[in-house]
Amino acid sequence: MSIFPRSEVARVALLAACILLLIFALDIVWAQPFGMARGAVPPEAGGFTGWILAKQAEFYRMLSGLIRAAKADGSATYTLLGISFLYGVFHAAGPGHGKAVISSYLVANDETWRRGIVLSFASALLQAFTAIAVVAIAAALLGATAKAMGNTVRVIEIAGYMLIVAIGLRLVWVKGRAFLQVAGVGATQYHVHGHAHDHTHVRGHEHHHHHGDDCESSAWGHAHAPEPSELTGDHWVKRGLSAIIAVGLRPCSGAIIVLVFALAQGLFWVGIASTFVMGLGTAITVALIATLAVGARGLAGRMAKSKPGAGMIMLRGMEAAAALVIVFFGVALLSGYIVSERLM
Amino acid sequence: MFASLRIILATLLALAFAGVAQAHPHVWVTMHSELVYAPDGSITGIRHAWSFDDMFSTFATQGLESKEKGKFTREELAPLAQVNVESLKEYGYFTYASADGKKTELTDPAPGYWLDYADQVLTLNFTLPFKTPVKAKELKIEIYDPTIFVDFSFAKQQPVQLLNAPKCKLDVVLPREMTFAEGKALSEIPADQPNATMAWGAQFASKILVHCP
Repeated sequence: MSIFPRSEVARVALLAACILLLIFALDIVWAQPFGMARGAVPPEAGGFTGWILAKQAEFYRMLSGLIRAAKADGSATYTLLGISFLYGVFHAAGPGHGKAVISSYLVANDETWRRGIVLSFASALLQAFTAIAVVAIAAALLGATAKAMGNTVRVIEIAGYMLIVAIGLRLVWVKGRAFLQVAGVGATQYHVHGHAHDHTHVRGHEHHHHHGDDCESSAWGHAHAPEPSELTGDHWVKRGLSAIIAVGLRPCSGAIIVLVFALAQGLFWVGIASTFVMGLGTAITVALIATLAVGARGLAGRMAKSKPGAGMIMLRGMEAAAALVIVFFGVALLSGYIVSERLM
Repeated sequence: MFASLRIILATLLALAFAGVAQAHPHVWVTMHSELVYAPDGSITGIRHAWSFDDMFSTFATQGLESKEKGKFTREELAPLAQVNVESLKEYGYFTYASADGKKTELTDPAPGYWLDYADQVLTLNFTLPFKTPVKAKELKIEIYDPTIFVDFSFAKQQPVQLLNAPKCKLDVVLPREMTFAEGKALSEIPADQPNATMAWGAQFASKILVHCP
């Protein structure tokens, strides 16, 4: 009897490790150029990844020609918008911390897929809006140089990254406590199965001492863990707003270059339309990935219900891990370990 | 239980792979390069002329003051040239040299670099000196951006020239597009065999090879 739950715990630990590994693998690919010795080998990309890269580069290169064409022939604008949309779809599948942070946020907070879609669209639209605002104010109104715009973006992105760290830390605090609590309870149960009775009592007391206030608010009787919704508090929109801003604040380099180019051609509004359509494409891809993350979280949740003890540990562990991933991304972005696309 | 575990893992794998793509180029550079040799037959430097694509050229010159609208003189572009060259330092000027298989160091560009603006295209001209001039039977110079933010390709006409070189043979290796079969083969290399992958990757850089007697 005691062997089964133990192996369950091992499997849960393995799953948590896998999740972390995968999410970190995602980062390593981005960070590699800066981590590895310069001049070793150029990066290579093949298969599906290479195809995505090739496609987005191809669409991006078409943009300048289409903006020029739109100047002479208005109907080229439609083609431009179509290509901008495709570029957005492919671009979001590529670099960017946005989808990783949003997915981790959804997993940690146990949000629904609908909310995931709303968050994805809101952050993508905000991103388009920031790019337009930067170029409209800096370039169109003030006649600022590319370097000045680059510096503006740098300041904006630092604010965004700091917000990511803050969101992550808050979630780690909340979810980490919940995980430790449920893991502690789990340990107690196994101790009961085993032999150390005294120890059980000590653990129990510690628990009561630290988390006395939310100990009883459990949905699953076996595990004394608080409900996620109670932990995160606030209304989800209010809660999600910080994530939207954190992810959407930093404008996309490509959008800024396109906007400045359109401005120089005297077609700023075409650039604005193109940027919004790009944002729409980006939102669709991010929403798709976010939905997958929420689906995985839902499956894990159902599994957890069937295995009250270990299941809860797994679930809380996964949430805590997702929260840690957000902190990791924020810190890595801030410290320049992951370098997002740089302008000037 | 096992089935659902597998579904979760598969989903997470899909998620991870969705993120595995890298940055894509936002800047395209067309290169002309000259290899400068000393009278004793050692190479002393690489003279680059990098032309940027029109969209980036427009972006880079945004807000710069010029006497004549839409035209920029070398003097007017001097501050921008300085920004460019200084920021390239961090990236090792995207230029990697090796002599007879040994990595050879390049130093910061000599003063006298400049930017040109013609036909809405910016061209950055600068010379990268070798830290110590080298004589090599086989000299290899690779130009690429590991982050792929900048895409480098050689100009179609006379991409590379040797200046005052002894009787050497010049080969310019263009980075070629990966074919679908190659991409597939690459994606099938297990992740725990990085060496195989890396040997493969070297084929996709812009390369200058010089064989001297």
